[in-house]
Amino acid sequence: MTAQEVRLCGLLLREHFGEVVEKVGRHLIRSGAQNLRTLLHETGISIDLVKKSLCVLVQHGVCVFSSGRKGPGSPTEYRTSCDRILRILRYPRYIYTAKTLYGDTGELIIEELLQRGDMTMSSTVKTVADRLTQNMEEGRSMDYSEVSSAFSKLVETHFLQRCPPMAAAATKNGAASATPATPATPGTPSFPDCYRVPHVTLIGKGKRRLSNEDGEDQRSAKRAKIDSETHGDEGIYWQVNFERFHLHFRDQAIISAVANKLDQTSSEIVRTMLRMSEVTTSPTATCTKPLSANEIFRSLPSSYNIARPILDQYLTLLVDDPMEFVGKAGESGGGMYVVNLHRALANLARATLESVVQERFGSRSARIFRLLLRKRHLEQKQVEDFAMIPAKEAKDMLYTLLSQNLVQLQEIPKTPDYAPSRTFYLYTVNQLPTARMLLQNCYKTVANLIERRLFESKESKRLLEKSQRIEAILASLQASGAEPEQLTEVEEMITAPEKQQLESLRLHINKLDSAENQVDETIFLLESYINSTVTS
Amino acid sequence: MADVKVKKETNLSEPAEVENRIKELCQQFPHGITDQVIQNDMPHLEPQQRAMAINKLLSLGQLDLLRNSSGLLYRMKDIQSTSKMKGSDNQEKLVYQIIEDAGNKGIWSRDIRFKSNLPLTEINKILKSLESKKLIKAVKSVAASKKKVYMLYNLQPDRSVTGGAWYSDQDFESEFVEVLNQQCFKFLQSKAEAARDSKQSPMVQRNSSFATSHEVWKYICELGISKVDLSMDDIETILNTLIYDGKVEMTVIAAKEGTVGSVDGQMKLYRGVNPVIQPTGLVRTPCGLCPVTHTHTHTHTHTHTHCVRGCPCLTSCFLSSGV
Repeated sequence: MTAQEVRLCGLLLREHFGEVVEKVGRHLIRSGAQNLRTLLHETGISIDLVKKSLCVLVQHGVCVFSSGRKGPGSPTEYRTSCDRILRILRYPRYIYTAKTLYGDTGELIIEELLQRGDMTMSSTVKTVADRLTQNMEEGRSMDYSEVSSAFSKLVETHFLQRCPPMAAAATKNGAASATPATPATPGTPSFPDCYRVPHVTLIGKGKRRLSNEDGEDQRSAKRAKIDSETHGDEGIYWQVNFERFHLHFRDQAIISAVANKLDQTSSEIVRTMLRMSEVTTSPTATCTKPLSANEIFRSLPSSYNIARPILDQYLTLLVDDPMEFVGKAGESGGGMYVVNLHRALANLARATLESVVQERFGSRSARIFRLLLRKRHLEQKQVEDFAMIPAKEAKDMLYTLLSQNLVQLQEIPKTPDYAPSRTFYLYTVNQLPTARMLLQNCYKTVANLIERRLFESKESKRLLEKSQRIEAILASLQASGAEPEQLTEVEEMITAPEKQQLESLRLHINKLDSAENQVDETIFLLESYINSTVTS
Repeated sequence: MADVKVKKETNLSEPAEVENRIKELCQQFPHGITDQVIQNDMPHLEPQQRAMAINKLLSLGQLDLLRNSSGLLYRMKDIQSTSKMKGSDNQEKLVYQIIEDAGNKGIWSRDIRFKSNLPLTEINKILKSLESKKLIKAVKSVAASKKKVYMLYNLQPDRSVTGGAWYSDQDFESEFVEVLNQQCFKFLQSKAEAARDSKQSPMVQRNSSFATSHEVWKYICELGISKVDLSMDDIETILNTLIYDGKVEMTVIAAKEGTVGSVDGQMKLYRGVNPVIQPTGLVRTPCGLCPVTHTHTHTHTHTHTHCVRGCPCLTSCFLSSGV
C-alpha cells in the first residue's frame, strides 16, 4: 500500500462509486482490517451511508468480511486490498478481450458482470438479451438460449466463476472455523463447484425497450422485480475470474513478442502450445507442461499446413533463440517442448525497462543500461570502453541514471577505511527493484491522468450540462415530430465556439482515456513479472 | 717479450695503463667482463687499484656497469651514446637510463623519482634539459589527460597510451565510431532481410542471415571509410556496441582451426534482430517522460507549480497534435 497506490485507488473508487465509498474504501486500505464501530468513529460518516458503502464494496468483491480477531463472538471485520481496486483500471481490457473471443454477447455479459459485481446466471442472461435486442433491427430479438450458451462457454474456459459461498450464517453459530471457504483475501477460491454451470430453465427472448414506453417500462421493471420467476439457480452468483483474463493477457504478450522477434509462423506455434496448456498449467507455474512435437503438429490450425520437418526446424529455432521463450524438456515423442513462462516474463519486463530508459534518456544511455544489465558489475572506465562513448558524456549519462535510481553503485573497498581513492566503485542494475520502482511510477502516471481528466470535465461542466440539455430537447422534439426549423433553432442554441470547445474537450478526454489504457498495459507486464518472482 | 714486459711494468705503475687494459678486455668480450676475468688477466693487480681503475672508467662514461646472476659485469659503452651524453652529468644519465628501460610504454615522472631517489626539483630540471636536447619526449596519456609519460624520442608510443584506433590526438572519435556502427548494422540488416526474402526453410534462413566477424571486417575494409587500419578485434568491439543497442545478437560456434577468421577454434556470428516489444505504454504518455515527475506532490490544500492541472507537458501534448 504505497502512497501512489492509495491515491490511485481513491481516484478509481471516486470515479466508479462516488465520494462516500471513496472515503470508506480509502480508510479501509490505510488501516487494514476494521470493524464497523471503528470505521464509523474514524470516518465520521453516518451509519446508514457506511453500511451502504460496505455493501457496495462487498458486492463488487472489493471488501471481504471475516470474524473478528478476538474470536468467533467478536464483531466482524472488514478488509480490502489495493490489488482488487486496481483491477478496475483494467475493466476496458477485459471487456475488449471478451468481445474478440466471444463476440458481442460475450462482451455484454462481461460488461454486465463487471458493473454489477456479481449476478445470477438467469438475471445476467435476461439483461444481456434485452440489451442486445435493443440494438437489433425491428422485429428481431435475441433468444435466451444463445446468451446462455455464450455464458456457458465463458464458464467452460474459466473466464467466469462462481462466487464463493458466504459463510456469514455460520459465524453466528460460532462454527466459523469449520468453513474453510471463507477467504481471508478476495482471492481465487477453488472449491469444487467453481465452474459448474447450474441447470437453469431459461426460455424466452429479449424484450425490446421502446422509447414511448418509458413510463410503462419503469413500472414493468418494478414488476419484474416483484414477480421474480425462479429459474433454479437462486443463490448461485457469478463473478468475473480476473486471474484467467490475466493468464490470457500474459499469453498474448508472449505471442506478440515472439511474432516481433521471429516471425508469424513461430508465434502461431507458440500460440498453439499455450492454448493446449491453458487448463493444465497452474497460474503460478514456471513453465507449461511438456508437449511433444507430435501433439503440437496435430493441434496446429489447419490454415498453417507446414510439413513436419519444417515444424521441427521452427521448434529448434525457438529453442535456440537467446530469449529462451521455448525450452526442450526431453526427446520422447519427437521432442518435448515447454514454454518458459517466467523467463519470458522476465525478458519482457527487461525490454520494458530498456524501452523506458531509451525514451527518457536517449539511445546512448539505453546502450549503457543494456550493457550494465548484461555484464552485471562494471567500473566507470570499463563502461566507457565497452559502450564506445567518450568519457565525459559517459560519465554524465551514468550520473543521470544514478540520480534517477535506475542504476546502483556498489562499493568494494580495498582498505577497511573505505577511502575513496582506494575503493572500487562498480555500477550495476538490479532488475527487480527497478521494476518495482517503475511500477510505482506507472501508478502515479495513471493517477495524474485520471485527475487531469476529472479536472478537464469539471472545468467544462457548465458547457457539458448545457449540451446534454440541448440533446435531450432535440431528442424529444424529434420523437414528437417537430419541423426542421424548430430543430435547427434548438441546435443553434449552442454557438460555434462552444461546439469547438466541446469537440476539443471530447478529444482530450478520449486521449487521456486511451493513455490510461496504454499505461495499464505496462502495469500489467510489470505486475506479472514481480508476482512471478515472488512465488518462485 | 718486450711488449709484455713493458705492459707488465706499465700495468704495475700507471692506473691509465690498467684502464686501457680493461678497455681492451672489454672489447675482446663484447658481452661484458666480470671481475674474475680482469683478475685472471692481471693477477698481480691489487683489488684497490682495480676498483679505482674501474671507477674511473665508469665515471668517464666509457664502461657500463651491469649486474647478472653471477655478479657484476663491465661492458664497453657505445661510442655514439657516450658522445650523446657528453656534457651531461651522472644524474641525467641515470634518468635517461630509467626512461630507456621503460620502453615504449613511457614512464611517469613520479616513477622516475622513485627509481632514482632524486628530489623532484632535480628531476624536473633534468627532464627539461633532456627534452631540449631532444633525447626524450613527453606523450599525453589517453587514460588520464593530465598525466604525461616520458619516453625516448624516436619510439612509437604504445597502443594503451594513445588509445588505439579510436583515438586521434587524444580525442575520442565518436563520429567515426557512429559511422562504423551504422555501416555494420546496415550490412547485417540487409543480410537478414535477404535471408528472410529468400523464403527457404527457416533453418536455412536463419543460418544465411548470420555473418561472421571476419565477413564484417572485410566489408568494412572494402568500404574504405576508415583512414586507420582496423583489426578484427576493433570490428568486434563495434559489433559489441550494436549488441548493447539491442539491434544485433551474437552466437559463438566451434570452427576448425584454419578456417578463415577463426580465433582459437571459435567463430563469432552476428545477426540483425528486431526488438521484442514496441515502446511501452508508460512512455507514450507525457508523465512517463517527465523529468520532474518526482516533484509532483498533490496535496489538496495548495496548488504546486508543477501540479497536474497546470502541467505544461500534458497541455501541450493535447494542443499540438490533432488526433
